[in-house]
Order: sequence, then structure tokens, then C-alpha cells
Amino acid sequence: MKQSDSHPPHSNCLALFEKLSEYIDRELDAPTCRDIEAHIQNCKPCQVCMGTLKQTIELCKHLEHRSVPETFHRKLKDAISDLAEKHPG
Amino acid sequence: MSKRLEKTKRNDKDIQLIQAINAGRQDLFYQLVERYEKSLYNFGMRMCDNPSDTEDMVQDTFLNVFKYLKGFRYETKFKNWLYRVATSACLKKKRRSKFAPDRELSIDEFLPSDESAITTELPRWASQPLDRLLNEELGGVIQQALLDLPEKYRLVVVLRDVEGFNTQETAEILGLTPANIKVRLHRARLFLRDALKAYYETE
Repeated sequence: MKQSDSHPPHSNCLALFEKLSEYIDRELDAPTCRDIEAHIQNCKPCQVCMGTLKQTIELCKHLEHRSVPETFHRKLKDAISDLAEKHPG
Repeated sequence: MSKRLEKTKRNDKDIQLIQAINAGRQDLFYQLVERYEKSLYNFGMRMCDNPSDTEDMVQDTFLNVFKYLKGFRYETKFKNWLYRVATSACLKKKRRSKFAPDRELSIDEFLPSDESAITTELPRWASQPLDRLLNEELGGVIQQALLDLPEKYRLVVVLRDVEGFNTQETAEILGLTPANIKVRLHRARLFLRDALKAYYETE
């Protein structure tokens, strides 16, 4: 994300930074995707930025889902039964 | 019935069950509960981090769904409607719970502060397979980072990335525009990414 001889201009990095999530989610149009891919190919800091963001999203998607406690499961069932008795279909 | 409603009904895997319940088979309602009890419970735990508030939220949600199911008009998938009810129950709990203060996240706060903060090498945590990373401790780090997020961002990232709703569905659940969802989601993800970076850098 800096301007140097080996990196594209900083403004391109900033523009990409704002669109990274939409790019990862495939919500951008084809020309914008091509621009991003062309930029990122030659910009190490943006590659890192993309890699860390992608991994963050993957970690969220794979968080463990815990089981419902048995006591609550029974309590919920009873509460619904009570309500069904009060409001018969 | 409009084409859009017909399409929504066709794509909703819960529709037959709901129609049966609404036709008088109230005894089937518990099947609906069993389909969503675990996901709603986990949604509640991500939002409230408090088993007692979570249980209240899940129970309030299902009791409201039971009461109002007859009025469900198939304008959206049942699951989206269920999460809309659950979100509203979560927000009510907010008054009594310890939530992160509401504040705006600006994109600027996630930019590197200076040249030295710019990295050109992918950190190890970002290139390792997920199964090597995901353990109880990391789950706890992400959960804490979610709780540190202001609520309006947390809701969006939990619905999108943890629960798996798409942008349009999340917009319907929260009553926001898709553009607004995208902005909040990106900032929430950057916030979580910074929390993960901080965790691995201080390890």
C-alpha cells in the first residue's frame, strides 16, 4: 500500500481496499474485477491485505456451533406446549 | 399471487410444513423448532454472549412465530422472517445486556498508520489450513472480537459470514439497503481481521 517504483500508485490500493469484500463475495462487475486482479498481481501489500481478509472470513464461516443445552431444549418444548394449549389451532 | 411471491414459495424448504401447521396441524410446530433451534441458539450466543439472554431470545422468538405464523405471507423465506423476529428479540435484550457501545467504524481506521505498518508477506495465520487454526482459543478470540464490534456491524457480519445469509437476505432481515449491508460488512470484517492480527502478533 505505498507508492514506489515497484508498486502501482497508492490511490489504486485505496480504491481496492474499499472494494475488497465485494470482490471476495463476487459482487462486482467483470471490468472492476479485472482491474482489481491486474492491480493485485503486482502489489504485494494488497495481496497480503486480500489474504488476511479472506482468511478472516473463512474463520467466521467455520466457527464451531455449540449444541443447545438439554435443559433449555426441554424448557422450550414445554413453553410451546403451554402456548399451544392456550391457543388451539 | 405475484410471480415474486410464487418464486419465494417455491424456493422455501419450510413451506409445506408451514402450510400444514397453518391448516391445523399445530403438533408439527415443534418440527419447525427443531430445524432452527440450534442455529438460533448460536446466533443468540454470538449476539448476546450470555446463555440466559440467549435462551430468553430464542424462546421469545419461537413463541412469537407460533402466535404470528398464520399471518406469514411468504413475502420472504420463512428462515429470513424467523431471523427478523430473532433480531428484534435480540435488540430488546440489548437494554439489559452489556453490549459494546454503538459507534461508527470508519474505513480510515483500518488503513496502515504509516509505511512501517505495511506488510509485504502474508502472515502465517493467513496461509495455514483452517483446521490447524480453529481451536477453542481462537474461537474465543473471534467471539470476543465480535462482542467488541458495535452492534450494527456485529449483526451484519454474524448474519452474513457466520449464519450464511446473502447480502439481499441480510438487507431484508435488517430492513436496510444492500449497499448499506456491504459497507457495514466490510468494516466489520476489517475490524475482525485487525483483532486476529493483534492476537497472532502478540502470541
